[in-house]
Amino acid sequence: MKKLAFVALLLVAVLSFSKLVVIGPWAGAEQEKFMPVLKAFEEKYGIEVEYKVYRGSDLLKTLPAQFKAKRAMADVIFMWGWFIQDQAKKGNVVDLTGLIDENDFIPGALDAVKVNGKIYGIVYTGKVKPGFWYRKSFFKKHGLQVPRTWYEFKALLEEIKKIPGLKAPIASGDGVGWPLSDVTEHFLITFGGPWVDRDLIEGNLKWESNTVRYAMGKLVELLKAGYFGEPTEWTMALKQWWNGEYALYFMGSWITGMVDDPEDLGVFALPGAKGVVFAADYAFIPKYSKHIEEAKKLIKFLATEGQVIQVKQGGHIATYKKVSLSDYPVVDREVAKILQGMEAMPDLDDTVGGVFQKTFWDQLKLLWVNPDRLDEVLEVLDEKMPK
Amino acid sequence: MRRSKLSHFLFFMLPALILIGTFVVYPSLRTILLSFFDEDGHLTLKNYVKVLSSRDTINKEGIARGEFPLGTLLHNAIWIALHLPLTIIMGLILAVILRKTWGGNLLKTFVFFGMVMPMIVGGVMINFMFDANVGVVNAFLRLFGLQVKTWTAHPETALFSLILGSVWLWTGFSMTLYSAGLETIPKDFYEAAAIDGAGPFVQFFKITVPLLKPITVVVATMTLLWDLKIFDIVYVATQGGPGGASNVLAIQMYNYAFIEFDYGKAAVVAVLLTVFTMIAAIPLIRSVGEEK
Repeated sequence: MKKLAFVALLLVAVLSFSKLVVIGPWAGAEQEKFMPVLKAFEEKYGIEVEYKVYRGSDLLKTLPAQFKAKRAMADVIFMWGWFIQDQAKKGNVVDLTGLIDENDFIPGALDAVKVNGKIYGIVYTGKVKPGFWYRKSFFKKHGLQVPRTWYEFKALLEEIKKIPGLKAPIASGDGVGWPLSDVTEHFLITFGGPWVDRDLIEGNLKWESNTVRYAMGKLVELLKAGYFGEPTEWTMALKQWWNGEYALYFMGSWITGMVDDPEDLGVFALPGAKGVVFAADYAFIPKYSKHIEEAKKLIKFLATEGQVIQVKQGGHIATYKKVSLSDYPVVDREVAKILQGMEAMPDLDDTVGGVFQKTFWDQLKLLWVNPDRLDEVLEVLDEKMPK
Repeated sequence: MRRSKLSHFLFFMLPALILIGTFVVYPSLRTILLSFFDEDGHLTLKNYVKVLSSRDTINKEGIARGEFPLGTLLHNAIWIALHLPLTIIMGLILAVILRKTWGGNLLKTFVFFGMVMPMIVGGVMINFMFDANVGVVNAFLRLFGLQVKTWTAHPETALFSLILGSVWLWTGFSMTLYSAGLETIPKDFYEAAAIDGAGPFVQFFKITVPLLKPITVVVATMTLLWDLKIFDIVYVATQGGPGGASNVLAIQMYNYAFIEFDYGKAAVVAVLLTVFTMIAAIPLIRSVGEEK
């Protein structure tokens, strides 16, 4: 009788479990590179997984309302670190402390999902924003050299400016605004030092401070000299840069998966940079998931073995230390090498988030076309930082 | 007899009243109430003070320097000041000219496309139209050797390019209404005026314009409402940027509600929008009623 009851219970459990739902931001080619990770999990654990694409900005509007109604639209959700922290404080996120060993990940990688020492999310792979990308063939054709100092960098820009047929030396990617914020952060880290990034995030430094003003001044100098092109939709700018209408393009490591010939890609950071932004992807389990135990298996898999599979697809850099350099495709190995000897910094606007992020993007669009208005831009940024 | 009339009235009106009460009256009253309460549930005017003193709503420094952004309140006012007359004038002129032009109906269909198109698509198209590389506007300017730029990327032109784009999208509406209105004017009026020696211009200003006044009121009211609640094309084309230079009240309300999660401030903007709409629309509608 007991056996029969057990079998019946097991049967009910099996029948009632449909599949795990994962929400992530990757669509199109990026989604294709993520699906092998989920497939590997399905094969290993025999648990079916359904993947749904939602942008972070859309989740930002829907998840808080869902959580208020004590509902979850997925079992594992990829979302910004600051959002996970915020929801963890409100009691809407499953505590994952002890599920993964923090020492297995690059230092500080889990800080963005910690609240009072407890871990509420996992860190997945990330994208590095290493510096200015160029086509090796373009540099060879025009006899250009990678700069080693700030003065060499300016001389290079001047040399490029003289090449006929170019719109500008550096392409400016636009859209919601993040490509401009990536360049700006690189200048802040290079000329203010890596600590500037952290201090700004923590609110210990004002945007109107001399340190920030000095670093931003270097960027403004280049903007005024006309070295940056007019903000153009970033995928269109990518095509124009690839077609030789620009010489340099500041972009994240995902660019390697977006060009016809990744072997022709070269990249250099601003001379003197001691840190680069490493934007990791984070995932969490909502408290209202109906399959918390299965979701824990998946989220642990994603943080560890999943990263090995993901970096092999290209365009991603691991946060899991057990991923070796040989797991990377050749072009990504170059990016991973840039990270060596550099401090990995959190993405400033992704970490602060909220209204600041939107304002940051929008104010930079203004600065790009009106570099004389730096004072006003810094004032507005201070005003919109979380108090 | 009276009782049966009342029961009939209730039978037919009640479903509509319930729906309007649930989905219009109740949410409107809740929004008004929400605007007067702070996060702790205290009755206050704090939300109004915050919104009206915000740089986003009225940018005193920008106004003093004569530089965009000027604040959402002024941006909406500029939108109305330009979009409303341009739409009315262009719609009327097109309706009059295309009425007797060969292929006029086909041309009207093309003009009306702007109205049929989802405004989200309209926003994307405006972005492309004013783009330095692929934009039709800049291609036209290049013909005259003028220097081109992406209009929506510069603070001094972003708002104006959106307004011009919205004139293109909305003119089909006014043109269609005026075309229908023109059909209601008896031809005898024009014939009598012609016999009295009135030329086309006199006929236009003395017959067409006055007799189309009820249509003009409808067009003006609808355009005004559209201008005040303008959101989609701005959101898609510029998101209110650069630096808030093309920001409008509806985007500000959206940002308060869904980026800052400050529903009190969002409710204030909603109330302000309602008040402005009523101030503008009621006298217009009343003027037609009085004439009747």
